[in-house]
Amino acid sequence: MDNKEVTLLKKALERQKKARQQAERILEEKSKELFDVTHHLKESNSKLENLLNEKTSELDGVFINIIDPYVVMDLKFNVINMNNSAKTFLGYDHTKESLNLASIVHHDFIAYTAQSFQSLIEVGTLKNYRAKILTKAKEEKWVLINSSLIYNTDRKPIAAQGIVRDITQEMEVKQLLAEQKKQLNTIVENSPLGIVLAVEDKIVKTNTTFVELLGYTENELKEMSVRDISAPEDIANSEKLIVQMNKGELDKFSIIKKYYKKDGGFVLARTLVSAVKDEKGKVDYQVALVEDITKEREAEERLRNEREKYSSIIANMNLGLIEVDNDDVIQMVNQSFCTMSGFDREELIGNKAAKVVQVQEGRIIDEKQAERLVGKSDSYEVEVRNKKGQSRHWLISGAPRYDNNKNVVGSIGIHLDITDQKQLEIQKEKLLEELEKSNEGLQEYAHIVSHDLKSPLRSISALASWLTEDYHDKLDDNGKFNLQQIQEKIEGMDGLIDGILKYSSINDATLDNTLVDVNEVVGGIREIIFVPENVNIVIMNPLPSIKVDKTKIHQLFQNLISNAVVNIERTDGLVEISSKENTSHWQFSVKDNGVGIPKEYHEKIFKVFQSIGNNQRSTGIGLSIVKKIVDVYQGKIWLESTVGEGTTFHFTLKK
Amino acid sequence: MNILLIEDDNIEIMKLQRTVSKLGLSHRITEAKNGEQALELLRSGQPLPDIVLLDLNMPRMSGIEFLSILKEDEVLKYLPIVILTTSENRVDLVECYRIGIAGYVIKPLKYEDYQDKLSKVLAYWEVNELVKG
Repeated sequence: MDNKEVTLLKKALERQKKARQQAERILEEKSKELFDVTHHLKESNSKLENLLNEKTSELDGVFINIIDPYVVMDLKFNVINMNNSAKTFLGYDHTKESLNLASIVHHDFIAYTAQSFQSLIEVGTLKNYRAKILTKAKEEKWVLINSSLIYNTDRKPIAAQGIVRDITQEMEVKQLLAEQKKQLNTIVENSPLGIVLAVEDKIVKTNTTFVELLGYTENELKEMSVRDISAPEDIANSEKLIVQMNKGELDKFSIIKKYYKKDGGFVLARTLVSAVKDEKGKVDYQVALVEDITKEREAEERLRNEREKYSSIIANMNLGLIEVDNDDVIQMVNQSFCTMSGFDREELIGNKAAKVVQVQEGRIIDEKQAERLVGKSDSYEVEVRNKKGQSRHWLISGAPRYDNNKNVVGSIGIHLDITDQKQLEIQKEKLLEELEKSNEGLQEYAHIVSHDLKSPLRSISALASWLTEDYHDKLDDNGKFNLQQIQEKIEGMDGLIDGILKYSSINDATLDNTLVDVNEVVGGIREIIFVPENVNIVIMNPLPSIKVDKTKIHQLFQNLISNAVVNIERTDGLVEISSKENTSHWQFSVKDNGVGIPKEYHEKIFKVFQSIGNNQRSTGIGLSIVKKIVDVYQGKIWLESTVGEGTTFHFTLKK
Repeated sequence: MNILLIEDDNIEIMKLQRTVSKLGLSHRITEAKNGEQALELLRSGQPLPDIVLLDLNMPRMSGIEFLSILKEDEVLKYLPIVILTTSENRVDLVECYRIGIAGYVIKPLKYEDYQDKLSKVLAYWEVNELVKG
């Protein structure tokens, strides 16, 4: 390092030294200044503090002497000071016992109190703290407290002071009012009547019933006038009444009017409007009580319609109506009864019914009257005489009449003239009886006729036999042939007589229905009829057992099977018998491979005495018997046939 | 045997007589034209027949009426009565059995059949022990 450099460095160092000394001097000066200020502040602070304390004490004195209770507490709610008023109000004296204010707050208000205290700490003041407390005498008191914080000299809150107002009475009144309001609301809201409060036609308030009645919300209604919801035809009338009310001529009025609903429909309501007046007698409000009578009206309307309907039916019906009292004295009759009986109303009313129309068996009326007295209703027939003395039969439906106390006061009877029916009935009974007799007679007759016809046939047959026998040598061939012819004709006639007898004895009344095995029936027939070598009778499927008259079913099958057998000419003759079951009927078929029946005879053959065969012995009555038996069992018979191939008879019998 | 035939029809009487003689039987046949006549005969004190052949359809008194009267009689009710009739009426058949009969024979159409049937009926009664007197 050269000198130059050293010199330069020395100079710099010197400069720095000077600068530091200067800075130190300045700092010293400033410190001194600061000390002076602080000292000064201390002095004035202490001055101020004294002043504050003085002021506080001064205030203390003021508060101690104010009328409202005044309490100072620390931040833990311990009372530091309280005035006499507070002592009296709370019943505690902090100088004699320690008092913590938190402990006397009503438990309902503890949370509220904590919240309020927080707010006091943050803001510094608290207005309108309202709570219930318990005094030493265990009295519940409502208090209103306005309070503020008290700070120490370091601006730290150390206590709180509050002025207490006893608002117990005020609260009670308030509560009572609220209670009353609630009660009133309950009444109004639960009222079945719609309630509307209006000021000069503007709706001010309504209840739920009215809201529900019209379907508008309460707010919508509050925007409306009574006019808006009233039917035009009612407005003039109700406004006239309102005018009278406003003039003081009316205090209240009642009117039935229509109100429009929100949905466009309307309700009919009985409305009672009352005026609410101020002290000067000017109308403040109109209160309307609205009762929905739509349903009531509808019911009345319905009732009236019903009554009209029935009274017009009663007046116009073809049935005689009569009301009598308990002594059978006529109280009321309708026109039809007059027409039926031939008597005028005047000749009937006031007289005993059974006497006027000469009920033939008077006892029945007494009996029915006794039944009416015990409340019985029924129908019965009587024979009477009309005014002309003619016998008429009436069907009477009678019922007791009651008064409003449910006592039987007589009876009401509806009369139908059944003379014609009655006569028809009597006629029918007679006819049936006659029919039965004549049926019996006919049966008997058929037997007698058949006997009387058969006896001479037997005689002729015997005589012809004896001729053949006794004069065998004397007769030539022609004579013998003729005698042979006589015998054949006699046989034919005998068969015919049998057939007619059988035919005439088929009817419902003589049926003896039992369970019959058709297989057995067919088997039996196979044994008794003549079956030539060339014919086979075959049962195709097991036949059922059915409920029928055994003799009739036998006749039925015998005729059909005989017919089938007789009409077979070929060497491989076959008669097939089969059956099948339908829902309501059994169906049977008898099929042969005989000569067949031409189409044009298919209907005809079922008629009596219609024989189409060339067979000499055919009487023509067999299929008529078959048809009649099938008819008796509500079945059908028909046939399919091809000439030269065969015939199938089908028939059904009801199960 | 003594046979009482109650029958109004002459040819029927002839048929029975012819049958008896043709078959060479030695029965005595007494005839009554109707029920009344038969009753008279039975109550006349003469020996009673061994069997009675009774027709049902007769004038004045029917076979059934005759039968009923007979069954009321303390003695005559024991006579064996065989009905000989053309009636196939079931009502008659049942009624006869109800009142009390010994047989019910239906007259066939042909004489040959009649002769055959009657020979059997008579043969049956011939082998029966009869009360006699």
